[in-house]
Amino acid sequence: MSNFTNVGMATAGEGKKTSLFSYRVGAIIASWAPPLITFFVVAVVWQLLAISNPFVIPTLDAIGSSLLESPQMYWANMLVTSQEIAIGAGFGILCGFLLAVIMAELPIVERAVMPLMVVIMVTPVVAIAPALVVAFGFGMMPKYIVTGLVVFFPMLVNSLAGLKDVDARALDVMRTLNASRWEIFRDLRFPGSMPFFFAGLRIALPLSVVGAAVAEFVAPGQQAGLGSLLTIAAAQANLPVTWACIVLLCVLGVVLVSALAVVRKRVLWWSDQSIVGR
Amino acid sequence: MLAEVVKQPETFAASKDSGVAVCNVCKGFGPPDAKVTVLDNVNFNIQKGEFVSVIGPSGCGKSTLLKLVAGLSEADSGSVSIDGKPVKEAARAKSIGLVPQSPALLPWRTVLDNVRLPMLVNKRSNAGRTMRDPEALLHSFGLGNAIDKFPSQLSGGMQQRVAIARAFVFDPAVMLMDEPFSALDEMNRDKQRMGLLEFWQSNRKSVMFVTHSVPEAIMLSDRIILMAAHPGRIAEIIPVDLPRPRDEAVYATDAFRDLEGYVRNSLKTVMRQVHV
Ligand SMILES: Nc1ncnc2c1ncn2[C@@H]1O[C@H](COP(=O)(O)OP(=O)(O)OP(=O)(O)O)[C@@H](O)[C@H]1O
Ligand SMILES: [Mg+2]
Repeated sequence: MSNFTNVGMATAGEGKKTSLFSYRVGAIIASWAPPLITFFVVAVVWQLLAISNPFVIPTLDAIGSSLLESPQMYWANMLVTSQEIAIGAGFGILCGFLLAVIMAELPIVERAVMPLMVVIMVTPVVAIAPALVVAFGFGMMPKYIVTGLVVFFPMLVNSLAGLKDVDARALDVMRTLNASRWEIFRDLRFPGSMPFFFAGLRIALPLSVVGAAVAEFVAPGQQAGLGSLLTIAAAQANLPVTWACIVLLCVLGVVLVSALAVVRKRVLWWSDQSIVGR
Repeated sequence: MLAEVVKQPETFAASKDSGVAVCNVCKGFGPPDAKVTVLDNVNFNIQKGEFVSVIGPSGCGKSTLLKLVAGLSEADSGSVSIDGKPVKEAARAKSIGLVPQSPALLPWRTVLDNVRLPMLVNKRSNAGRTMRDPEALLHSFGLGNAIDKFPSQLSGGMQQRVAIARAFVFDPAVMLMDEPFSALDEMNRDKQRMGLLEFWQSNRKSVMFVTHSVPEAIMLSDRIILMAAHPGRIAEIIPVDLPRPRDEAVYATDAFRDLEGYVRNSLKTVMRQVHV
């Protein structure tokens, strides 16, 4: 019996390594070239616009040299923002998922609580943030709360959809076995909800960067963060620092989304293959 | 490949307390003031080790009936019992194996882990039960090479065989199958059918087998329950007196052909009633 540990790997002809290699390289170039060209074109246009409008946007090299001049400053602020995201979004994700589990298991809770959740979620975060500052001061707490709130709803909605989207026939099989609620959750609902959970993360993580930045705009506080630095620099019309902060917020988002893609591929390899006859 | 085929006389323990007993079962759907009767006074039983097929026009309530026997829904009136006990109790004792219309395998589990699943839930009922060895079972189903694969790597026919193995692994007294081969093409379907027949002939369980195929019903069954629709009811119970063990050669016998003609005719009569 053969052992298929590398299940995801295509079993390609071993004897054609070189042609396979060049095929791979070709495929990589083909998939990377279009976005790279787009970025390059945008950069060139940016640079030309920046040179002709020096008081509107900074040149790319001005942003670059600002980053290189004071890396510790940027790094420290980026760490603060990252901490807000890690703790705030972490809690938001956890709470969103847990509430979804409770709602999926007890429909009465969904009916009772969902309208309130919707009301909270349609309230603009920008409006909530100053109120939170009044309540919790300029420390980290209002930032955790805003970041958490922003990710909470997409996680709740997606996890709930995933937990409800069970294969009805697999559920029938579990029920004829008289599986307990917990067993059905453990073996069927929970793993089955993961594609939706990750779809939720795909929305929530970029939003968490927005949440953290907005919280810092409203309540700069002494702990700073990229959003605070950005507001201060913008007020001083310091274009390179302003845009360096924007670039770093971008980087933060890209890192989160890429990390998510890597984790997703590891956890959810099974959901990308279609199941015959389902 | 399989254990020796046991030659058994066609006698079933005629006790009321063994096998499946469905008594005066009625079932409807919808609100009380606009209830649609789906099953109207259904009576039948399946003896220990008996293979019974259910055939009938689409929408006549075959799946509804199977779900009642599986304990997945409750009858409005009448009773369903397994070995003399109510279905709920039988389910608690893990006495019912279900093979749904689609394989319904868990895509994140390997074939082996899918087959193991029934052993891992409702463990209290595992005491004193002889489980089949999942690997040996998969080998006997011709799935030896697929043990460590994932469902998505298997063909539809292989997936369905895994689903059948999953239902056999915990050695339930009763096996319920709802058109398990309906998603397969004719050639594959015939192969799976013969595989099931071969396995069942050496591991006799009470089986309720819903199908749309007349030859399939005849080839596999001891009796065929023919249902009529609107409301769903039993039109006729047809005994299949072909000797066992059976194999492909049975298709070519006159007895088979005669019976097929008879069943088709009865089915036609039932269908005509529907379109009145
Ligand atoms: N949960 C339900 N709610 C309302 N009506 C239902 C429900 N389940 C089944 N029915 C109705 O009961 C009737 C019988 O359905 P059932 O699925 O048992 O038929 P079937 O004989 O299995 O048909 P098929 O051969 O197409 O599978 C149908 O008219 C269907 O619309
Ligand atoms: Mg059906």
